[in-house]
Amino acid sequence: MARINSNTELEELRQEILSKRDQNKPRIAVCAGTGCLASGAAKVIAALKEEIKKQGLNADVDIKETGCPGFCERGPIMVIYPEEICYLQVKPDDIPEIISETIKERKVIDRLLYTDPTTGEKVTHESEIPFYKNQKRLLIGTNINIDPKSIEDYLAIGGYRALAKALFDMTPEQVLEEVKRANLRGRGGGGFPAAKKWETTRNVPREPKYVIVNADEGDPGAFMDRAVLEGNPHSVLEGLVISAYTIGSHEGFIYVRQEYPLAVENVDIAIKQAEEYGFLGQNILGSGFDFIVNVHRGAGAFVSGESSALMTAIEGKVGEPRPKYIRTAVSGIWERPSNLNNVETLANVPLIINNGAEWFTSIGTEGSKGTKIFSLVGKVNNTGLVEVPMGMSLREIIYNIGGGIPGDKKFKAVQTGGPSGGVIPEQYLDTPVDFDELTKLGSMMGSGGMIVMDEDTCVVDVARYFVDFLCDESCGKCIPCREGLKHMREVLNNIVEGKGNEGDIELLEELSRLMTKASLCALGTSAANPVSTTIRYFGDEYQAHIKESKCPALVCKELVSYYIEPSKCQACMICLRNCPVEAISGGKNQIHVIDQAKCIKCGVCFDACPTRFGAVIKISGEPVPASLPEKERSLVRGKK
Amino acid sequence: MDEITLQIDGREVKAEEGKTILDMAKSLGIDIPTLCYHPALSPFGACRLCSVEIISRGRSRIVTSCNYPVEEGLVVNTKSPDVIELRKMLVELMLARCPNVKIIQDLAKEYGVEKPRFKLEDEKCILCGLCTRICDERIGVSAINFIGRGVDRKVETPFQGTLDIDLDVCLCCGACASVCPTDAIELEDTTNKKPIPILSEYNVGLESRAPVYIPFPQAVPNVPVIDREKCVHFVTGECKICEEFCEPNAIDFEQEDEIIEVEVGNIIVATGFNAFDPSPIYQYGYGRLDNVVTSLEFERMVNSAGPTEGEILLKDGSHPKSIAIIHCVGSRDEKYHEYCSRVCCMYSMKLAHLIKEHSEAEVYELYIDIRSFGKGFEEFYNRVLDEGTIFIRGRPAEITDIAETPEEEGKLIVQFEDTLIGRQRRLPVDMIILSVALEAQPDAEAVARLFNISRSADGFFLEKHPKLDPVATMTDGIFVAGCCQGPKDIPDTVAQASAAAAEVLAMISKGRVEVEAATAVINEKICSGCQICKLVCSFSAVDYDEEKKVCRVNEALCKGCGACVGGCPSDAINLKHYTNEQIVAQMEGMLV
Repeated sequence: MARINSNTELEELRQEILSKRDQNKPRIAVCAGTGCLASGAAKVIAALKEEIKKQGLNADVDIKETGCPGFCERGPIMVIYPEEICYLQVKPDDIPEIISETIKERKVIDRLLYTDPTTGEKVTHESEIPFYKNQKRLLIGTNINIDPKSIEDYLAIGGYRALAKALFDMTPEQVLEEVKRANLRGRGGGGFPAAKKWETTRNVPREPKYVIVNADEGDPGAFMDRAVLEGNPHSVLEGLVISAYTIGSHEGFIYVRQEYPLAVENVDIAIKQAEEYGFLGQNILGSGFDFIVNVHRGAGAFVSGESSALMTAIEGKVGEPRPKYIRTAVSGIWERPSNLNNVETLANVPLIINNGAEWFTSIGTEGSKGTKIFSLVGKVNNTGLVEVPMGMSLREIIYNIGGGIPGDKKFKAVQTGGPSGGVIPEQYLDTPVDFDELTKLGSMMGSGGMIVMDEDTCVVDVARYFVDFLCDESCGKCIPCREGLKHMREVLNNIVEGKGNEGDIELLEELSRLMTKASLCALGTSAANPVSTTIRYFGDEYQAHIKESKCPALVCKELVSYYIEPSKCQACMICLRNCPVEAISGGKNQIHVIDQAKCIKCGVCFDACPTRFGAVIKISGEPVPASLPEKERSLVRGKK
Repeated sequence: MDEITLQIDGREVKAEEGKTILDMAKSLGIDIPTLCYHPALSPFGACRLCSVEIISRGRSRIVTSCNYPVEEGLVVNTKSPDVIELRKMLVELMLARCPNVKIIQDLAKEYGVEKPRFKLEDEKCILCGLCTRICDERIGVSAINFIGRGVDRKVETPFQGTLDIDLDVCLCCGACASVCPTDAIELEDTTNKKPIPILSEYNVGLESRAPVYIPFPQAVPNVPVIDREKCVHFVTGECKICEEFCEPNAIDFEQEDEIIEVEVGNIIVATGFNAFDPSPIYQYGYGRLDNVVTSLEFERMVNSAGPTEGEILLKDGSHPKSIAIIHCVGSRDEKYHEYCSRVCCMYSMKLAHLIKEHSEAEVYELYIDIRSFGKGFEEFYNRVLDEGTIFIRGRPAEITDIAETPEEEGKLIVQFEDTLIGRQRRLPVDMIILSVALEAQPDAEAVARLFNISRSADGFFLEKHPKLDPVATMTDGIFVAGCCQGPKDIPDTVAQASAAAAEVLAMISKGRVEVEAATAVINEKICSGCQICKLVCSFSAVDYDEEKKVCRVNEALCKGCGACVGGCPSDAINLKHYTNEQIVAQMEGMLV
């Protein structure tokens, strides 16, 4: 491929690509993102290819292995164009039928469609599925149309048009002004205005300057950046080149976690293609602007997502935050001005350039513009990636898009912002989700993790989980974070084990204050958020653990006892046989009894007892009723 | 450079750009606690103890003063209630981690932290990173660094020393241990090299010294010197920490040794003596048995400015209950030095006196003869006897630690013949002092050659005449004083030195030199320039004239011995008044 040397050449190429494509030709898009691959997409794709070959349809059907459209809960996902028929949870066995029915006969297979849980109606088209319908998918909506390994696919949807516009029709100042007017705020967590950062780096009178993509997405349960980078790597590259052009940088880095092998692979391919086509390298699109990109793979440290730690890591040192009263925008990698943006932030840039700041600011709230991708996980029916305009309420996200809580359980709280974020209780479900509102609640937008919890979740246990995670993932450099987390974990462990003391809550609060005020980096200053917000909203649960030795959610093992309700026990022997420590006595027609002294609280009996009996119950905070005397244990069954 | 005005604790201060809040607070004498800060290392910001409250651009927040650069209009409060509360809790966390570390205990006391509310650990290392930074930034080797993340973080060597590879990056310089505020680094455990302490020359190896040191308290000039062989800077080119600390900028790494030539008319050689090394006397066990020390080592030990501050200590740190002093070690001994070292009897008694003064220990003096001949010496001998020191006549045959009886267990036993009662005895004691001989300096031969002076059979420099000219040497203008001429005590040394000075003054005041009348003279017309005369002259009186290619006699130095006359193969040299012709004529006259 010869390098493109002008805007005209680019548009000619685009027309050429589009003219070769027949919009009416059947096209089967299968998500090959990490989520769907994990649910077996690779086998589906292999079966699909084989079947098409077998049926001799090679020339008549296109297969596209695409990035993640978001509905991971129901993967592997398949969308068949031009009708846009969306099949969910497709198995290799379904393939022959899909080919013969849908492709050949143009008939829809009902069984593979989405069923509306309330009405029971089948939904044929992707865009009509409530999960998608209520989103505004500016960034990930095109994923299903793109093979991330094909630059032509990106060009076909208008890719690199923004770059050409910036390079040929705009000065760097104009680009900066446009992004500034769009009020694009950093999607990585802090919500700092991207244009302000760019301007700072741009104004530092030192060369060289670096631009960096932060793709070190380490929050448990978050995978927004992975989906963007895997599914549409060129959009990030395009944003990066535009930012470099604005700032006056000629070298960039993509810092991507080693744990994202597919993202690494796709980005590597994308860079190679972009260089080939002239979107990267010397004299980009004949504009005279030079820019190269290096991929730096992270070595699995959560803290390296912190900007100064990430830059230290790129320098080849241990990823550890630096004291940074001089901002990295001024003195970053090798003490050069370095601008760092999150994957999602940069993916927004081409949209802003193409559509203008007015269009961008029309989406979202007063202080937060555009859309935000969330990874909606936990106790919610539709887990997956959700892209919504800023300002949508938590309730809408969780119920309208997420489909509510499984098993008709009660919603308890949602954790946003990953380990640095906080827990938001039910009374704030109508809060519009944007940077400022979440911060007001003591949580944060973070990079967009959203973990839904139902009534069976113990918030103390959740807080302990995050603190435990951070104990391992803090870099350990500064005392408040390292020692503070260690003792926080200690105190929380005591509480969940029923060894909590009067004053523990105050101690946790004091530690939280210290960490927030005195820690070196953002990881430390926000590390206490899960603890402080759970205390703030669920203080009574902490109290119950400490004062009554009771876990209201019946989760904390040490505080829970298992008991067989004599009136419900049908003496079926299932629990008795499954108990690993033979703590259950009983027999045929003998009501079963748990020997509390032997019980190790593994919960096997609870899970084993058939739901129609529901005889095994959990008890917390109150004494276990005395066992039935031996004589009274024979079961008197009712008349059949 | 622009000056910046800021306010610290209500006081205005002007600062240069690039300075930190901590720098400026220090300049005002405001105390901010620090732990991971070191003026010679880059700020780390890990301990957070130096946190202060600032108001910058109308916003109040807490920052670490060690790395926050000064800015115009900044208002700093180093002791706000928030700051104090925060430091207190930091100290509490530190104390929970390191409850047995002095510096943390002191901080806890200062901030009123009594007992941490957290689970106690027993760590020594507070992870301040001073050691890793000094090794990286100053020593330039990074032989230690942090490993692990979060709560598992610790300081380690590469691969925790588990790999069987030679990790010789460590210079074993000890910088890490020296900078550690909590004494958590044992050099032996940190490096796979054997740490070799730099032993103090002055304290005869009883303690170690730094590569920068003042040679001894009375040194002239009393300034530190850098040991170029040990100093890391001279080994690696890095470090230079001392330069940063020296406020008057007195450190000059470029300085080289120089040789200064001074023209003088007289020289007094006063090069002193060497203390005899008793390790060749195997049976005395010096260097082999603990607690066998030389008199010089003991001298440093009882000195209140010495390594033990005057405390007499055994190797295990306990106090000896009995001490034996053995006289004539290396002296009056055919195998080593036949002569009597003259000072040992008296200094041994002085040591006995000091021991009695400093401790309760029993003291034994094992002597051959007591030679207390000086003024007041015999009286001192009697005083020491009165103090209870036990004098035993007999030269020990052996010192051993092999006990024969239960009382000897764990002691050093001196085996000797008590010549006054004619019986073999064994004396168990805790410590043994060897009163070592005085001997000529090891380089006496080279010095003698340099000054063209002679040495007697015992190796000391030879005076011109033992009775009539005891300070002059055979070379005019060269005098000797002190122990380089032979063992002597301080009064004798001072007397001899005064005599030598007087001789020199006499020469100077006279303003001229009397020369021998009968000196050699070379007939330049005959001289072939073979320089044999120069070789045979014992007084360096012959010079070779490179231009004329002949030899010439310096009449001021010539003693008229005639050695050159006889040596000259061309008969070019004659002795004035004793020319060949004159002697032949005299002989002829006698024979006629």
